[in-house]
Amino acid sequence: MVKFPILLDIYQRGEGPLKRVERISLPEAGDYAIGRLDENQIVLDTPEVSKRHALLVVREDGIAISDRGSTNHTYIGDSEVDTSPWDGALPIRIAQFEIHLVPQTASGAETRVNVSEENATRAVAAGSTAASPAPAPRGQSIEVALNAPNAPSEMRFPRNVFKSEIVSAAEIKSSEYFAGEYTYLTVGGGLGSFVWADHLRIFGVGTGDIRAIGDDVIPYANYQRLCRNSQIPPHERLRSNSQSTPDNIWGFPGYASRETWKDLKEFRFGGIKYIFQVFGEASLAQTFTPRSGEVFKSIDKEAQRIGWRDMLTYGRVVGIRKTNDERYAVAYRVPEDQARGGLRERIMIGKFLHIATGYPATRFTDDLQAFKARYPEEARVFNAYENHEVVYRTIESKQAPASIVVRGRGIVASRIIQRLYEARDKNKGITIIHQMRNPIGPKEGYKYKGAQRYVYNHIENQAFNWPKACWGGQLLRETERATPEERVKIYEALGGTTTADRRDWRNIIQLGIGDGWYKPVFGHFETLELVKTDQGPKIQMKLKARRDQPAVEVVADYVIDCTGLIGDITHSPLLRDLAETYKLPRNLGVGGGKIGGIFVTPDFEIAALRNGSGRAYAAGQITLGGPQPGVDTFLGMQYSALRSVDHLAVLGAPNVSLFGPLRSFTQWIKWCTNAVP
Amino acid sequence: MVPTLKGRWATRILLFLWIGVPITFLFSLFVAGPRSPTLPLLGWHYDILPFQILSLLLLVGLILDPVYFYFQQFRWEKDWPFAFQFFFTIIEFVIVLALVWWGVLDFTRPRSQLHTTDNYLLYTIHFACIFIPSFIALLGLIQIFMIRWRFKSGEWGRM
Ligand SMILES: Cc1cc2nc3c(=O)[nH]c(=O)nc-3n(C[C@H](O)[C@H](O)[C@H](O)COP(=O)(O)OP(=O)(O)OC[C@H]3O[C@@H](n4cnc5c(N)ncnc54)[C@H](O)[C@@H]3O)c2cc1C
Repeated sequence: MVKFPILLDIYQRGEGPLKRVERISLPEAGDYAIGRLDENQIVLDTPEVSKRHALLVVREDGIAISDRGSTNHTYIGDSEVDTSPWDGALPIRIAQFEIHLVPQTASGAETRVNVSEENATRAVAAGSTAASPAPAPRGQSIEVALNAPNAPSEMRFPRNVFKSEIVSAAEIKSSEYFAGEYTYLTVGGGLGSFVWADHLRIFGVGTGDIRAIGDDVIPYANYQRLCRNSQIPPHERLRSNSQSTPDNIWGFPGYASRETWKDLKEFRFGGIKYIFQVFGEASLAQTFTPRSGEVFKSIDKEAQRIGWRDMLTYGRVVGIRKTNDERYAVAYRVPEDQARGGLRERIMIGKFLHIATGYPATRFTDDLQAFKARYPEEARVFNAYENHEVVYRTIESKQAPASIVVRGRGIVASRIIQRLYEARDKNKGITIIHQMRNPIGPKEGYKYKGAQRYVYNHIENQAFNWPKACWGGQLLRETERATPEERVKIYEALGGTTTADRRDWRNIIQLGIGDGWYKPVFGHFETLELVKTDQGPKIQMKLKARRDQPAVEVVADYVIDCTGLIGDITHSPLLRDLAETYKLPRNLGVGGGKIGGIFVTPDFEIAALRNGSGRAYAAGQITLGGPQPGVDTFLGMQYSALRSVDHLAVLGAPNVSLFGPLRSFTQWIKWCTNAVP
Repeated sequence: MVPTLKGRWATRILLFLWIGVPITFLFSLFVAGPRSPTLPLLGWHYDILPFQILSLLLLVGLILDPVYFYFQQFRWEKDWPFAFQFFFTIIEFVIVLALVWWGVLDFTRPRSQLHTTDNYLLYTIHFACIFIPSFIALLGLIQIFMIRWRFKSGEWGRM
């Protein structure tokens, strides 16, 4: 039961920590619109918020939040939501705002308090100046009626059209939603989609037959964002090797020879070392990896060449169904400025479908999530994949002790430690506490078939995120041929968190241990709370190690969680709906009971989605645990694209050639001369 | 490189057919002379000795491939760095030279025609003429023509 009035605290993340900018009170049940325009009851006035962003539906028996097809989406905690009940345990997040439900017991005592003085932007409930009463619920405007989450869900897009497992193509084509029919459709518009479209174009398909639906215009936009947040600026090197080339389906010339060539042209002979690095990969020399900036530039060039802009449709896909004419219907929403007479919902039809939506969500371990919920104003704990520049800015700007807990032992943790090391140039008071689950001795690395992984400083070292032979060697063979049960065993033996064996990173650790500003600790946090010290508030943690060791107490200024992104497809409303509707089989997950990605054949077909002569394929993280281990990598996506496009060629899909040696060579020449395929 | 045993063999035969044979053919054209026995063809005389050496190289390679593959199993990455390939191809050639020295080709012609310093120099030049383009092919030329090769552990054909 909901007691009225309901109090909501609105916080805003600006340059510094999260600040409360407003407390609003909702006097009675009703639908409260959230958005940038003044006509909303709750106005969040920054460009990232859509004009009509979301709807908060308040009833006597509960509260629900519903996204209204916003550009930047609506989240509860870190899970993106379309429509979802809200119990207030986690805040609603919209752009840089967080909406917290004030616990009902406290609600009587406090009313509106301290509106932040320095908020340049506004977060106000319309009409709720100090004196005025809380907003009146909105009337029955058409807008609300259309999207009201309390209307039966069958009446809302795309449910109003997608009434059954198989929908009528004719009906869609005669509806106002219809947005065209294409032979090849790819959903996501990220790197996976790009690489797939690149293969199709080079195999002979024209731009007019391909459409990619995604919520970024630049194919690497999402990837670049993740890189930037996890401290890989353009001049930093990535993890994949020279021949992992999302801009070149042949993998030749690789990034190493291109970089060498560039250097030689400017008479810098040092560039020759890159070639030697490729010679020695992955063990004799430090593995060559390209600079992220170079990869992005190369993708820009290829995107231009294959006409990516002509193929891209900007939109957020909200549903996929089989059609009754052996095709697929893809429902999506476009941004407001592209609305047709107010209508933002569209449906496209395609014969061959490809799904590459990347990571469903970022992970927040429970204890950190709980801390964030308890102290929403304290910007102290971050996921490494979210923007946490504030940490570096704060600790670099003063000469004072600052200790940072880095959680996790993967490659991102290495990056963050490198970044903190660089920050030490400005502030020698910075110390790093590196929290790992358990110690790993030098001889305790993973073992597989007569070989063992190398361990340094309790971290397993490996050039790439899987052993190299997972991308086309005997390990790929083994996983491809294995039964699902055998696969899990192989994955368990080969997997685990690793970092790259980089000399500079090892030096940093050595230096840090020697000078005492780096310390590894093992275990998991038991308590995590804010304490006031004479140097201001700090996070206090009790670290409980295994094996009956006493808990260690740690006091720190920040926690940066580097334990990863969430691969579970049910965090994506689109995939969850698809998996439930067609009962898509899932891969077995690694490590007791977890479930992996969508089950695909070695050709990356989602067999359960086959629709007569229509075919659906998937790529990337969402297929994890399947026939190929390295799906979430450039080379993995090149492999899956090649497999699925080859599969289409054999089926006789329109304009897809068999791509024999001659065509391959002539197309390669075209690539070299930057000619349209 | 991440070859399987089948892939090693397949790639070796591929390089033999597409690089070894044509280059040896040209090579024999220029070095054929008084050395016998020769093969008359279209009015030219070809010395078949380079072909005999080439075949020996292939044979030694095919026999050593399982050995390489065995040692590859002790590598965590289950890979074979280009540098290894480079080094062991030279070793294979040294083995071929030793075999010739030891007399495996003695049944083809008199020892005096085989074991001259000139001839050993010729064998080495011949080897270099094949080795360099083969290695370049491994580094990238093959995949320009055969896009699936790098994902197929060195085997040819479709997926
Ligand atoms: C920090 C980091 C570093 C990495 N470094 C490397 C590396 O060095 N080498 C390497 O090979 N790999 C690397 N990877 C792994 C991988 O190559 C990248 O994550 C790559 O971007 C994955 O491509 P993708 O297409 O699967 O996902 P993305 O590139 O993220 O694309 C998916 C797109 O789909 C969109 N989308 C999702 N749902 C919907 C929907 N319902 N409607 C419309 N659009 C939707 C997303 O917004 C996104 O734009 C790295 C990953 C991370 C996170």
